[in-house]
Amino acid sequence: MTTPQYDTIFQQIEALLLEYAQLQVPIQDDTDLINDLGFDSLKLMEMLEDVEDIFDITYPLNDLSNLHTVKDFVLQIQQIVGGE
Amino acid sequence: MGLLDKLETIATTRETLLPKGINPFNVVIEEIHSATEGTIDGHRVVLAGTNNYLGLTFHPSCIEAARETLLKEGTGTTGSRMANGTFSGHSALEKELALFYGCSSAIVFSTGFVTNLGAISSLAGPGDVIVMDADSHASIYDACRMSGAEMIRFRHNNMVDLEKKLSRLGPKCKNTLIIVEGIYSMLGDCAPLAEITALKKKYGAWLMVDEAHSMGVLGEHGRGLAEAVGVEQDIDFTVGTFSKSLGAVGGYCVSNHPELDLLRYVCRSYVFTASPSPATISSVREALRVINSQPQLRTKLWENVEQLYRGLEHSGFELGPDPSPIVAIRVPSKEKALLAWKAILEKGIYVNLVFPPAAPAGLFLLRCSISAAHTSEQIEYILKTFADLKPMMTDAV
Repeated sequence: MTTPQYDTIFQQIEALLLEYAQLQVPIQDDTDLINDLGFDSLKLMEMLEDVEDIFDITYPLNDLSNLHTVKDFVLQIQQIVGGE
Repeated sequence: MGLLDKLETIATTRETLLPKGINPFNVVIEEIHSATEGTIDGHRVVLAGTNNYLGLTFHPSCIEAARETLLKEGTGTTGSRMANGTFSGHSALEKELALFYGCSSAIVFSTGFVTNLGAISSLAGPGDVIVMDADSHASIYDACRMSGAEMIRFRHNNMVDLEKKLSRLGPKCKNTLIIVEGIYSMLGDCAPLAEITALKKKYGAWLMVDEAHSMGVLGEHGRGLAEAVGVEQDIDFTVGTFSKSLGAVGGYCVSNHPELDLLRYVCRSYVFTASPSPATISSVREALRVINSQPQLRTKLWENVEQLYRGLEHSGFELGPDPSPIVAIRVPSKEKALLAWKAILEKGIYVNLVFPPAAPAGLFLLRCSISAAHTSEQIEYILKTFADLKPMMTDAV
């Protein structure tokens, strides 16, 4: 399977992040999911279910410990998609 | 950010509640009168949130068994199971639990929580995979993190999602432990265990069922959901607790895999914590005998469940999907749930207040747990109180 480009994934999750975020701020690479967007664990889990559907992937919960910024998120998804 | 700054949000929330006389997460039961009655804030209340499903905390033969052992063996073991904390009662209970489940071996732990922590984190490790239901208990989440295994969750009771996740694992399924619960503690619903065992067999994975809330409650002999569904032979590991139907404290893991016994050497929550007191073990052994010999307790429990669930349903409350000893009433907001919980307590009924993240899907719940020891009159009183206070628990006001 061809790994999608970073920008393609970014665009796809941008809308999702805005839908689930508690705080509405512009989404950039260094936007922090908790501190800038106000995510809590429940909202994050809800969004991950959508991410799994959109990209047809399994997101391991272990990856959450390395998830801080939007860039982290995009790179994680890119890696999972590339590996499946 | 300082070490303690993260607690500020909790402090602020508590400060807003205390002046209103609401402190739902630090209730003190000043006196306990029976399996269904206690005194809180100086008032006698019906206890409808204690998971005491068969009412065995006050069963005369369980109390007598504990009393005799207390006098004979003292107040505690002062050691872990691996050191000086295994008395003859611990070994006897393990044999009796294995016999009860028709399994080759059992291990007794100090609490249900540490049973999951120890068993799961010892069975699965780096290179393995755990596939867990999203609504799993906190002890399962923590155990999975401790294990170092890859953690995957599937949507609650969603077999399409479970199969999708198993199918993606391919050959890793042989190193995959699926974990589900018999009855889920928040909404009281059961796992679709027949479908789960079918998927487990199809993909060659392993299966653990936590029967904490279903042991003593489901199945002809009270062995839980796996017995009720007729799939016990397909369960690799069953875990449970002594602190619900068995009316004490402690936990257990049973299995037909002979390797279970090896967990005693690697399981840190077995090796490094004090074992249950001898008196506790004796009361549990007696409670197991009661569960075996008095099926009428389960019959009475389910009569009570029907009365409460159908009564609340008739009053128009939004409940969990199935009647079970856990009856969860959905309330539209945190504020309403808090005020309703306080009003219910003032009317003389203690129930549990559950918020996210303990409650799933962002729900605010008033959770009742019903017991075989509740009288029909007590349940009628609970129903009348909830009906009277219903405007506080709905969007109507």
